[in-house]
Amino acid sequence: MSVVGRQADGAVGSEATIEGSGTESTRTANRWVPWLFRIGSVGVVLLIWELYGRAQETTLFFVPFTSVVGALWELAQTAEFWDAYRQTFIPFIWGWLLSLAVGIILGLLIGRFSAFAALTKPYVTFLNALPISTLVPIAVILLGIGFASRILIVFLFGVIEVTLNTAAGVRYVNRDLVEMGESFNAPQWRLFRKVIFPASLPGIMAGVRIGTGRAVVGMVVVEILLVAVGMGRLILRYRGRFQSAELFAVVLALIIFGILLQMVARRIERRASRWKYEMEQTL
Amino acid sequence: MIEIQEIGRRFNTRDGGSFEALKDVSFSVGDKEFFSIIGPSGCGKTTLLKMVAGLVKPSSGKVIIDGQAVTGPGNDRAMVFQHFVLLPWADVLTNVGFGLEMRGLSRKESREAAKPFLDRVGLTRFAEHYPHELSGGMQQRVGLARALAVGPDILLMDEPFGALDAQTRQLMQEDLMRLWDAEQKTVIFVTHSMDEAAYLSDRVLVMDTHPGGVREILDVPLPRPRDESARRTPVFNELTAHMWHELRGMMGDPTAPAPE
Repeated sequence: MSVVGRQADGAVGSEATIEGSGTESTRTANRWVPWLFRIGSVGVVLLIWELYGRAQETTLFFVPFTSVVGALWELAQTAEFWDAYRQTFIPFIWGWLLSLAVGIILGLLIGRFSAFAALTKPYVTFLNALPISTLVPIAVILLGIGFASRILIVFLFGVIEVTLNTAAGVRYVNRDLVEMGESFNAPQWRLFRKVIFPASLPGIMAGVRIGTGRAVVGMVVVEILLVAVGMGRLILRYRGRFQSAELFAVVLALIIFGILLQMVARRIERRASRWKYEMEQTL
Repeated sequence: MIEIQEIGRRFNTRDGGSFEALKDVSFSVGDKEFFSIIGPSGCGKTTLLKMVAGLVKPSSGKVIIDGQAVTGPGNDRAMVFQHFVLLPWADVLTNVGFGLEMRGLSRKESREAAKPFLDRVGLTRFAEHYPHELSGGMQQRVGLARALAVGPDILLMDEPFGALDAQTRQLMQEDLMRLWDAEQKTVIFVTHSMDEAAYLSDRVLVMDTHPGGVREILDVPLPRPRDESARRTPVFNELTAHMWHELRGMMGDPTAPAPE
C-alpha cells in the first residue's frame, strides 16, 4: 500500500498541476462564451417584452417585464403565495420521486430482459402515445381532488421518459464491456451491478432530467385543468380578474422553479456520468 | 493441454441460408506453449479464440482443456482484447483488479491485489489515472495486467496490439516476451501480423479462409529467450516469407503464384 500509494499520489499530483494550468484556463474561457450568448439572448427578449408591454394602452392583457417582477415581489410578501407554492410543491415531490424510482426500475428490467420488454410494450406504447393530460379527469374521478390524484398525474407525466431513457441506456451498453465481464466468469447479477448498471448511468440520468421536466408540466397541468389548488388556483384567479401582472408573476415563479429543478437534475446527471463527459472532451 | 476437436461454426444468413465460418478445425496447444493463430480477416480466428474462452459456442465439435470440455468461461483462462475494453468510469488500479472483482472479491481487496500486477506492467505511477488519460499502449498494458491478475493458466489474446502504432507495437511485443519468459503461461495469440507471430510464438497456425480451417501449423525454431536480434535471423525471414506466400494466395491477389 504505502510504496505504491505514495508513488501514485506523487504522479497524480504532478500530472494534475501540469494539466491543470493548461486545460483549466481554456475550459473556463470556453465556458464563459456560451453564457455570454445566453445572457445576451435573454436580455434582448426581455427588452422587447418590456418595450412591447409599455406600448400597450391597457395593462389588462400584456404587461411589461418590470411590472411582472414587481408583482412577483409583492406576491412573495404574502402568505397565500407561499401556501400555494407549498400546496403545489409537496404532491409534486412525491409524484416526481415515485416516477424516478418506478421509471428506473422498469427501465432496467425492460432494457435487460427482452421478455419483460415484450410484456410491458403495450402499456409503454399506450402511455407514450397518449397525451397524459387526457388522464387528468379520470384520475380525479378515481382518486378525488386530493393529493393522491395530483401525485398520480405528476407520476404519469414523468415516468415514461424515465423508463424509456433508462431502457435505452441499458440496451446500448457497449457489448464489448459485457463480453469482457463475462470472460472473467462473472455471475449475471454481478455483471449487472458492476458493468451494465454503471455503463447505463448516462442514459438513466438523461431520463431523470427529461422526466423531471415532464413532471413539472404535469404538476401545472393538473392544477389548471381540474383541481384548482396551489399555483394553478392563483393562475385561474388572476386570469379571471385580468390581473395580468400577477398572472405573469405566478408563471414566472413556476418557470424559476422548473429551471432550478432542471439545474439540480443536470448536476446529478453530470456527476453520475462524469466519466462520459471527460472522455468525450479528450476524444 | 488445450485440444480443439473438429470445431465447426455456422451462421444463419438473413436470406435463410447459412454461412460456414469454421469447418473441421482440429489442433492442440501444449502447456506453457506460445501458440499464435494468423489468417486473413474474416477467417474466424477471433471466433475460434472466443470458443476457447467459452464466450462463443461451436456449432459442432468441442474444446477440451486438461480433459474437460469447455462449456463457458472459466477461472483457468483470461482474455486480452483488441480494443482494450477498460471500464471508462474506473481508474487504472480498479481496472487491473476488475477481473478479481468479477470473481467475487470486493473492490478494496481487488485493488490491493492488483498492485503487484500494475507494477509488473510498469504503470504504478498511473494507478489513479483514468483510461482516457492513457495512450493506447498504456491502456493495453492495463488490459494485460487485468488478465494476469486473475492468475490464469491460459492467456487468450485477441489481436492485442492490433490497435497500436508500429513502434508501440514492437515495444509491447518485447515486453510481452519478457513477461512470458517470467510467467510461463500457455498463450493463444491471435494476430494478423506475420512478424509478430514469428517473433513471439513456439508454433504458428496459419488459417484457411471460406470456410476457416487449419492450413498449416509452423514450428518456430528460434532459440529462447528471444530479443530484438531474433528478427534479423535467416530463420525469421524465411518464416515470415513463407507465411506471406500462404496468406497472399488466400487474399485473392491475382499476381500471386498458385498455392501448391
